[in-house]
Amino acid sequence: MKTVFRVLAATVVASLLTAPVALAHHSFSMFDKSVEKVVTGTVVRWAFNVPHSWLYLNVKNPDGTETLWSFEGSAPPGLLQRGITGSTFEPGNTITISYCPLKDGRPGGGLGWARLANGTFVNPADGGCDGSVKAIEKWKVWLSAGYTSSIEAAKSK
Amino acid sequence: MIFKRVLFRFAIALSAIGVPSPLFAQPGVFGGGYGPALQVVAPPRTFTTSDEHYKYLLGQAKGGTKHTLTSVPRWDGLWVTAGNTHMNMFIDPPGFTGKIRPGVLTPPYEAAYRERWRQQQELGEVQYDRLTHCEPPGYPRWLLEPYSHEFLNTPTQSYLINDFGPAIRRVYIGQDHKNVFGTHSWYGDTIGFWDGDKLVTHTKYLLPADFTRWSPMTSNQFESVETWQLKRYSGDVERLEVQVTFYDRHAFVRPVSAVYAFRRAKDLEAAGHRVQHWECETSNNDVFDKGGTTSRLPGEAGFKDARGTTLFPDLPGQSRDPIYNTTLPAKKE
Repeated sequence: MKTVFRVLAATVVASLLTAPVALAHHSFSMFDKSVEKVVTGTVVRWAFNVPHSWLYLNVKNPDGTETLWSFEGSAPPGLLQRGITGSTFEPGNTITISYCPLKDGRPGGGLGWARLANGTFVNPADGGCDGSVKAIEKWKVWLSAGYTSSIEAAKSK
Repeated sequence: MIFKRVLFRFAIALSAIGVPSPLFAQPGVFGGGYGPALQVVAPPRTFTTSDEHYKYLLGQAKGGTKHTLTSVPRWDGLWVTAGNTHMNMFIDPPGFTGKIRPGVLTPPYEAAYRERWRQQQELGEVQYDRLTHCEPPGYPRWLLEPYSHEFLNTPTQSYLINDFGPAIRRVYIGQDHKNVFGTHSWYGDTIGFWDGDKLVTHTKYLLPADFTRWSPMTSNQFESVETWQLKRYSGDVERLEVQVTFYDRHAFVRPVSAVYAFRRAKDLEAAGHRVQHWECETSNNDVFDKGGTTSRLPGEAGFKDARGTTLFPDLPGQSRDPIYNTTLPAKKE
């Protein structure tokens, strides 16, 4: 009986560590969650604000110009439980993130995972895109193969 | 012995790959899965109204336990949600793949809910949430809003706090209802009594609201009777459980019951979290537009720069981003 309980307890802890989180106060219908993309850029601002955090990145275009991209993440209490604080993304840092794009094509999306300059992956996602451990592990493989979108990765199979 | 080891590893693997397990998962979202499965405790008998229910419990408790500052149960510290069974009341089987239970909601409320559930099922998302434009969660949604909570008990009053809003419910111990404003409000009026270590409350005079955006709406006749109790389970599991019966003569065919839970937020406390004022009006950039939700981006009309400056940018020290002092593109005219 004691063993069964230990199994349950271990499962619960593992579930808490891996469970997808969707804590938002709004619908995520503006994001296309069927597509995940990856982009690298320079942090302009990490707005660690309620009701949602926003990560603003300057991303280089093919013609050398830059576009400011906006990505929506979870609220600070949710992020703190995942080890992310108001200084995790400092202005000027170069980072890589995954996102689910805005359906209307504007430069923004729901934030998935983020890879910091030191190579560490973190999960600042809300319900707008998948930043879970499972998604990170999947993308580590895809990144090493050079993919920047889930559509590219799917086509290659 | 080998079997036990295999079972243990299987359980870990199952969780790690994110496979939902009906054995382990708590129905509903918002922290489900912490501790043993939540069990709804139905009222001791059927009551027609919440007043009748509350008075019965007060009688059973012989007027309630008169606590002092030293004897009143202490639930100090930070808490987060630990699951609930609210979807079981309306969806069969519970979860996002079930169907609406017939005969629970009145015809107009069931029709309204069918449209929400259709969006959830067919589009993967209810297209709009009333909280998008910074409406307070209200009650009963307060019971499952995530983020952080604090519960402070004194012999005469309890303060049930959610940082979202922030939303503070005050429980007036041993008192009768009052409504000097002559209207209803987001959290209504809550009275209560102690029955040993259980806090029994009665809430009424509420504004129309909802359980969540993917759950039914509630009317201005929505009322509740709650019983709060701190439960401890083996394995060092501590859970604050709230048994609730909801009454709403406009929305429900008959009263419905659910249980909500909270766990101590040791992870948040370790991270140094302290509850701050929850900003929405000047920081929210998600809006309802053309039948759906969208986001306003920097430089677009209506964008709110939560870390910009006040209306007096020429004065020194008027940035709301005093540490990094970053700037974003200004509004397009």
